Formats: sequence, C-alpha cells, structure tokens
Amino acid sequence: MSEVLLRFENVSKIYPSGSSHLTILEELNFSIEAMSSVAVVGKSGSGKSTLLNLAGALDRPTSGRVLFKGDDIGKMGDKELSLYRNRHIGFVFQSHILLEDFSALENISIPALIMGESARVAKKRAYELLERVGLRGRAHHKPQKLSGGERQRVAICRALINGAQLIIADEPTGSLDEASKEEVEHLLLEMVKEEKRTLLMVTHEQALAQKCDHLYLLQNRGLTLV
Amino acid sequence: MRSALLIALVMIPLVLALIFMDGMMQGITDKYILLQDGHLQFYNLDELDDPLVQSSDLVTSGYGIIYSRDKSAEVKLKGVKEDYFNSQRCAELKIKEFKAESTGSVAQIMVSETLLKELNVEVGERVAFILIPEGEQKGVRPMLAQVATTYNTGYYELDSSLIFLNYEVAKRYLPNGGRSYLEVLVDNRGSGHLDELGERLAKGGSWASWDQFNRTVYQNFVTSRQVILLVFILILVVAGVYVASVSNELIQDSFQAIALFKALGAQQKSIRRSYFWAVMVVTILGIALGLVVALVLGHYLSPILVWLSKQGFEGLRYYLLDFKVVVAYTDLLFIVGSMVIIASVTVMFTLKRIKEISPLEVLQQD
Repeated sequence: MSEVLLRFENVSKIYPSGSSHLTILEELNFSIEAMSSVAVVGKSGSGKSTLLNLAGALDRPTSGRVLFKGDDIGKMGDKELSLYRNRHIGFVFQSHILLEDFSALENISIPALIMGESARVAKKRAYELLERVGLRGRAHHKPQKLSGGERQRVAICRALINGAQLIIADEPTGSLDEASKEEVEHLLLEMVKEEKRTLLMVTHEQALAQKCDHLYLLQNRGLTLV
Repeated sequence: MRSALLIALVMIPLVLALIFMDGMMQGITDKYILLQDGHLQFYNLDELDDPLVQSSDLVTSGYGIIYSRDKSAEVKLKGVKEDYFNSQRCAELKIKEFKAESTGSVAQIMVSETLLKELNVEVGERVAFILIPEGEQKGVRPMLAQVATTYNTGYYELDSSLIFLNYEVAKRYLPNGGRSYLEVLVDNRGSGHLDELGERLAKGGSWASWDQFNRTVYQNFVTSRQVILLVFILILVVAGVYVASVSNELIQDSFQAIALFKALGAQQKSIRRSYFWAVMVVTILGIALGLVVALVLGHYLSPILVWLSKQGFEGLRYYLLDFKVVVAYTDLLFIVGSMVIIASVTVMFTLKRIKEISPLEVLQQD
C-alpha cells in the first residue's frame, strides 16, 4: 500500500455570512495516496475551490486537521506555510496566472528563485521543462505572445520546477479551446505520472476526471468516491 | 520612469536654490569684505606683521549725500590709495578704464554704474556732496567732484551707496579727515577665526570685524539659510509622501503578483524587501538624475539670472546675479540623506499593506 501524502480529518470550513454562518465543508474525511491522481467533481459553489485552498495551505480549516505526510498544516506558522507551499505544492490555476511582465522562462523560474536556487540553476531547470512541453523556442516570449494552451503548459512547468510532491490543479483546462484542452490534459497527466507526483484536481470535464486514479463527487458538504 | 522624473523635478529646484543661495551669499560676503570693510579694521594704524594677514591698506571713510542736477542719494565715501585695487579686489568689480580730464581742484571720484544711472549723470560730469561728520563731531562740509570713472560689482546694495576716491583727497575733504583705519584682509586660515585674530593683532587697541559692521546683513544670511534649509526639509517630507504614494501605487498594481508570490511560497519579508528596493531604486535614480541636472544647470544659473534680469524681471536687480557657483556638498549630502531616509521610512510604512494581501486573492482573480 502506498504512503498517504495528504489526509483530511474531520475538516469543516465555515464562513460567516451576515449574522449567520455558511458551512461549505462539514466533517470531511479523505486521504490521497502518494503518486496517485485524484479528481474532484461537483456543482459550482459545492466547495471544490475551498477544498483545494485547504490542501494547498492557502486557507485554514475552521475545525479538523489537514495533514501532509502526517504534519498538521493548521499548526504551521506563516513562515512554515510559505515553505510548505514552495517546496511541496505546485499550483496550476484555471487561467494560468502568469506574470505579464515576465517571460515564460522567468515565470517558470519564480518558485525555484523563491526556494533560494541561483538564477543559473533555476534557468537551467526551466529550460529543461520548457523542452519537455515543446516550448523551448518560446522561452523568452511574454505570456501575451503565447496561446492559451501554451500559457497553461508554462503554468504546468512552474508547478513542477521545485519537485513539488502534490500538484493542485483548479480547472486546468477550463479556459481552453477543445484542441488545447486535449493537449494540456495529456501533458499534465503524463508529466505527473513520469515525475511520480501526486495530482489533486478539480474539474468540470468528465472525460479528464475519468482519466484519474480516483474520482470524488463533492456534494452536500461531503465527498463521495465515485 | 515617470516617478523617477517627478522625484528629479523635486530635487532640481532644491539643489538650484541651494547653489543660488550659497553662491549669492558667498559672492555678497566677498564683496562686502573685499570692497567695503575688509575682514578686520584696526584703528591704531600700526603696521601689522602676521603670516595670516594677506593685505593691509590704509583707508579713510565718511558719509555724505550726493547731488546731481535733479536727484540725490545717501552714500559712503571711501578714500583709498592707488594700490588698493589689487588683483583680488579687481576680481570683484569691473572698473571702466576711463580717465576724465582733471578740472582743477575738483575731486575725482569713482561711482558705480548703478548710482550714475539713478542720479542720471554721465562720466565726466560734476556732482556735489554734503559731507556729514561722524558721531559727535561738528561741521557739515560741501564738496564738488567729477565722475572720473565707473565700476560695477553686480550687487545693487553695494553699488548704490559706495563711492571711491583718492585717500589724500578724502583726507582733505571729509570732515576731520574721515575715519581712518587699516583695512586688513586675511587668508583662508584666518577668515574662520576673526575674533581671535582681531584680538591678537589689535594688541589692546580697538578693532572690528566685517560682520560687526554688517550685523544685519550677516544675520539675514544666517537666518535665511536656516529658514531655507527648514523649507527644504518640509519639501522633502512632501516628496517622501509622494514616494509613499509611488510605493502604494506599485503595490496596488502588483496586487495579483504579490498574491501569486505568496501562493508560490515567497515569505512576506522577502516580498517586502523586493518591493522596498524597487521603490528605493526609483527614488535613488530620481535623486541622482535631479542632482546631475541641477548641478549642470547650476553652472549656468548666473548667466540665466542675468539674462532674466535684462528681460525685465525687476525683482532680480536686488540680488547678486553675477556669482561664482558654490556647491555646499555637506548640505547636498544632508538633503540627499534626508530624502533617502524619509523615503525609506514612508515606503516601509506603506509596504505593511503587503501583509494584508492573502495568497487566496490569486484564486479569487482566477
């Protein structure tokens, strides 16, 4: 049996809403094994993004624990959380979120530079990743000069550059046309598998969700294995 | 770039004002010392022998009213010997090489171009004086004189009231021979210790230094300089507020980038440091640009002001416009240092906003 990488233990997330409270997740229990791919589907507003925010340490649970390799993320201070996000998490956002003033190469290098790598090492790794996604020739292009699919490929490279064990993808093909969708889906799943990473992905795309090792449905503030 | 230019635009007038103020003050001080009072005046008229003494001239002076056909003015008459106008003094005024024909026993005088213009008199014409005795002495005396030559120091206050004539002639015409004294110029080593030097050289006799005669002028200089430096500080505080707004704008524009940096694991401290240096580089570039432009312009300030004065800016005539550029590097360093410190403090305050930006913002804008 594989090692559990991420575990949610009785996790609830409640937001204040006027004089009352809005419960998004309630007593959620689930775990993700290392090197597996997990897709979460659900209606809009069902709490999919909240789930990803908790897993990526962008937000803290109202109650319960989120454990990464047994360590409680909720107990980490700001500095530890930053380190956790930098070393262990790779984010792929729906609309890529690349810095417009930076080239593809520079965008990919950011997490490595934050980690303290030298510019030379960061650049070398970024080039290798760009090579793998077929964008080496576009290394010095700025995001506005890239197509939607190319930008998302750059975002995938950025998520992988630090060797993060957990890749969190929020609707990674949500803003792409059909041709690009297929290309990015294929690349994301292939690279995660080759690099032996773990993927936690939220998607509306049934076809993409089906390609993952595990598929969960998020509804009524809880997760159901499909 | 726009921000750096605006900071440069704040720096340029500050530095130019400093150059103008210091150049003018230095120029006026030099003119008062070299042409009107010397560094020190000694009244016992004994020869002075001291390595700090540069020159020692026997002069006599008195006061009077000068009359032309239709105008009059209060003036100071100063009787000097032929060698009085040495190279150092000649550097402070322009004397027209014009010798009027002597008309018998009429005194030959050197009057400034400014005063001649005010009196509506030409070189070679005659003017009348009523010479006034000093203190408790009695005996107002008339004197007839011919304008033999003119001079121009470029400083209105001095030019409008100082008239030179031969020492012997002055002794003859001024009531009781005028007030005679040794006018002493000292070198740079002595100019900063006039009180000590005056006390030592007077050997118990009476003496005075230039700033005692020009107490008001001197005090005005000191006060103006302090006030202007205070105004500079206030302007720098305003500039600091501007730098803070640049910093605020930068954070506002980088809201998503900051959220992304946080999401990718950058620590608050390092984000703050990056933005701090980004703003400070812009500020320092602006300061450097302002300094360079102001120093270059400063070297042309005097001819620019002279030109403006000739174009009809009447207010400028009361200032010394023909001055040497004096750059007070210590004060410049003080201005630059203050600007950098004020900017640093204000920027650090504004960068506290970075703490409020949650990495979640990156997803909300996704």
